Amino acid sequence: MSHTELVVWSGLAIGLLFGATGQATGFCLTRGLVNAWRDADTRKLRGFALAMAVALLGSQALVALGVLSLGDALYLTPSPSWLAVPLGGVLFGYGMVLANGCGARSLVLLAGGNLRSFVVLVCLGLAAYMTLSGVLAPLRVWLEGITTLPLPARDLPRLLGLPAWLPALVIGGALAGWALAGSAFRASPRDWLGGSIIGALVPAGWYVTGVVGFDDFEPVRLATLTFIAPIGETLQYLMLATGTRLGFGVSVVAGVVAGALITALARRDLRLRGFDGPQHMLRSMAGGTLMGIGGVMALGCSIGQGLSGFSTLSLATFAALAGILAGARLGISSPLALSKQ
Amino acid sequence: MRSTPASPPDALRRRLLRGLATAILGVGLLGLSLPALADGPWQRLDAARSVLGDTPPHTEGLVLDLPLVSEDGSAVALTVGFEGRLAEGDYIERIDLFASDNPSPEIASFHLTPMSGKPEISTRVRLNETQRVIAIATSRQGEQFATAREVRVTVSGCLMRGDDAPPEPLSNARVSVPSRFTAGQPEEVRTLINHPMETGLREGANGETLPRHIVERFRVSLNGETAFEAELHQSISANPYLRFHLSPEAGGEAVFEWRDDRGESARHEASFELG
Repeated sequence: MSHTELVVWSGLAIGLLFGATGQATGFCLTRGLVNAWRDADTRKLRGFALAMAVALLGSQALVALGVLSLGDALYLTPSPSWLAVPLGGVLFGYGMVLANGCGARSLVLLAGGNLRSFVVLVCLGLAAYMTLSGVLAPLRVWLEGITTLPLPARDLPRLLGLPAWLPALVIGGALAGWALAGSAFRASPRDWLGGSIIGALVPAGWYVTGVVGFDDFEPVRLATLTFIAPIGETLQYLMLATGTRLGFGVSVVAGVVAGALITALARRDLRLRGFDGPQHMLRSMAGGTLMGIGGVMALGCSIGQGLSGFSTLSLATFAALAGILAGARLGISSPLALSKQ
Repeated sequence: MRSTPASPPDALRRRLLRGLATAILGVGLLGLSLPALADGPWQRLDAARSVLGDTPPHTEGLVLDLPLVSEDGSAVALTVGFEGRLAEGDYIERIDLFASDNPSPEIASFHLTPMSGKPEISTRVRLNETQRVIAIATSRQGEQFATAREVRVTVSGCLMRGDDAPPEPLSNARVSVPSRFTAGQPEEVRTLINHPMETGLREGANGETLPRHIVERFRVSLNGETAFEAELHQSISANPYLRFHLSPEAGGEAVFEWRDDRGESARHEASFELG
């Protein structure tokens, strides 16, 4: 088997695990934020924090052991846009609340029979590719061009002049500590188990593209879990499969749907669900579109930046994450909140 | 279908409609087949025509493999291979690649010998917009084969990355060549070398045009005799990658040589056995 085929099969396996875990545990940043800010129930949010800690510690351990280098990761861009990254985060966060779940969550929900997610995903993929290479791309490239910010360092450890493992241990330890400090969280295995498994899939993805996929002559692009561009790529692959090659991102997306479907069938949790009315549909369409546009501008979604980007400690990630949280806050409780949860 | 019987004027109208539809279909089919009968895209490109001469090439046998859509026009994977039949003793001696709408259409010319074994070559090319890529193969006895393929190139924007320090040109030559060949059995060889392949069309950070600086020639010789040679142009991607085949007639030494347009060169030697 060639290294590119190995990467595709490994991507499928990672996707299957993500989909199964997501379906069984309800792992979701949106739900976590809504529950925390509306009902003071922080279990799901602590699950996400634990996933961040596991992703960070696992990825930095691979780097510290010399297994791989994350220097080529997309998130570690030396000169991000000071406007597009946080603004994209805000759009994404707001859209995520409107659509009642991020891109990855929508894939899991779709496999469980939620047809609303189908609308979200099609709008998301379309908007992502409109922004990445379609009609909105010239505008994005122009905006990024005039707001480029050359950074003194690409990631936090280099900014502080510290070895990478030290801030990773401190930040990862703090996040895990906060997560595990909640007694309700500790008593809820599906939340801590879900967070740990999904967090561990991030270093697994780095390993697949960075080590299994390593080949001097035909390099595979270094990547791990991320969903905005891959959902668009999956739509494109469905339409142009005879002329394009199957890559890691598309196989992860396919794996998530398959894994969630198998789990939903096994748990007898499959039920068709549709919209309550046109306004509900409009919210989902707007949410998907905002996530697609925002996710591309911010270089990643709640998973792509929130877990994968975070695991590199890139400075741009902190801006994107702050944007996603601000956008979600606007969507959940502000005069701009449209959704009725 | 409605169950009421059609009245005579209705039947007439239906027959007329059917006739019209057939006519439109016929014209459409004719329109589709016309371009195939007339000039191939290679006839519309001067550079390709100069290789072809006057006789029309065969349009079957040569296969060009490129993605339909590429999000990164700076490195589009390309494979060209000959799968047709040739007269006994004849072999593909030369393969030319062209990009119809690049600032300079020549991509590369490959010169093959009987020691190159199988005429199948992969590389990575630059395509600056959606366009046709054309391949022309010429055999020792002058048979010519041509094929073309359309590639859509989209903007890659955020993937632009400023390298911290670009590697030294012509450094770190990597060659993957089997240490053991079987007589008459072509084996795959892959080569890669660091080089910016600067087109001479790009502006640097200070706004000045960067001077052209490319690898112009790559040569493989087996025991002193040229087995495979490539002329590269600016449409070959940075860090030129070549995958081709070798079928040596005796064991010995293979020498891989890259030469750039500033007269610098790099060499890699490998010894192999024939079993």
